[in-house]
Amino acid sequence: MSAGSDANLRPIAFLEAIRREGKEWDAIAPRYGVTNPDPPWKTSLKAMCECLAASGALPTLTRRHAEDDLAQSVYNEVSSAPERELLALVHTMLVAGLVTEADIAGRMRTVRSRLESA
Amino acid sequence: MSKGHKHSHSGDGHDHKAAPTVDEITDYEVLEIAVRELAIEHGLFTAEDHRKFTEWAESIGPAAGSRLVAKAWTDPAFKARLLKNGTEACKEVGVDWAEPTGFGTPSDYTNFIVLEDTPTLHHVIVCTLCSCYPRPLLGMSPEWYRSTNYRRRLVRWPREVLAEFGLVLPPEVEIRIEDSNQKCRFMVMPVRPEGTEKWTEEQLAAIVTRDCMIGVALPRPGRTADVHPLHKARRPVQATTQHGKAAE
Repeated sequence: MSAGSDANLRPIAFLEAIRREGKEWDAIAPRYGVTNPDPPWKTSLKAMCECLAASGALPTLTRRHAEDDLAQSVYNEVSSAPERELLALVHTMLVAGLVTEADIAGRMRTVRSRLESA
Repeated sequence: MSKGHKHSHSGDGHDHKAAPTVDEITDYEVLEIAVRELAIEHGLFTAEDHRKFTEWAESIGPAAGSRLVAKAWTDPAFKARLLKNGTEACKEVGVDWAEPTGFGTPSDYTNFIVLEDTPTLHHVIVCTLCSCYPRPLLGMSPEWYRSTNYRRRLVRWPREVLAEFGLVLPPEVEIRIEDSNQKCRFMVMPVRPEGTEKWTEEQLAAIVTRDCMIGVALPRPGRTADVHPLHKARRPVQATTQHGKAAE
């Protein structure tokens, strides 16, 4: 992903929908009396970034450049850092063609079903 | 788990409330799992590699930071390089902030600054906004570092908060708080204590504990991260009787 191009900074509909829900950890954790400042999936997200860099799929500096650009534009209003990083990572992976929107949408349905199963 | 759920330890005769948890599954949580699973299926990395990185990230300790300080104490040329460009100097102790060991630094530009204490100037680090911390050098931040209590009060009442850690500084020592952020991380280089003049780097590193590099403690000969009793209670509880009453 070449940082800063208009195409790369174009909002992606399903990520925008997630963003607009406003379910960032720092917004919902206090509602449940949870004081841990980080969502439980944060370390996993970081490890995913490291794995992508270590395998050569998405170099660290490429990701960081893209994240800086996206954090100042498309995801500027996301108040919580881990959520901003996640949105920027997925956005970057989509633009780079590492995953597709259809794949993610389908997998999200499967994952949610699994997590909500009794 | 529902909020306020009562959890019983059968047999030990006590009930207590479980810690609260966020009782909903957000799309963020689902998205992280979905993308990770797809990345693994597409061969971008393996589940085992991901587990290893997660384990590593949660288990790295402050050893690299301790080595950094000990090396600076014994090598003036290295100390000069460290104070001039902390990020570059870290490579000399095997920490490259731009490589996978740069965990926790999402910016493309990672600025790492070592704060040198003097006999009349003491530094302490904090992140008033969230929990920014020099993780490649010190590992995961302690729970208290992320607490609102520490983040909020340190910048207002530094002497009082340091005293709560057992660090009472004389009034002539200026205290300077550095607020970490996404772009810039700090670490404290304390003053080398007296009585360590002929020590090796390894010996010195052992007394430069995590808290010394945050700034809530000072290194002292004989004080390492090993926990052992330091102080005997002045008024210990007397031997108890069979019925649990204090002996007269």
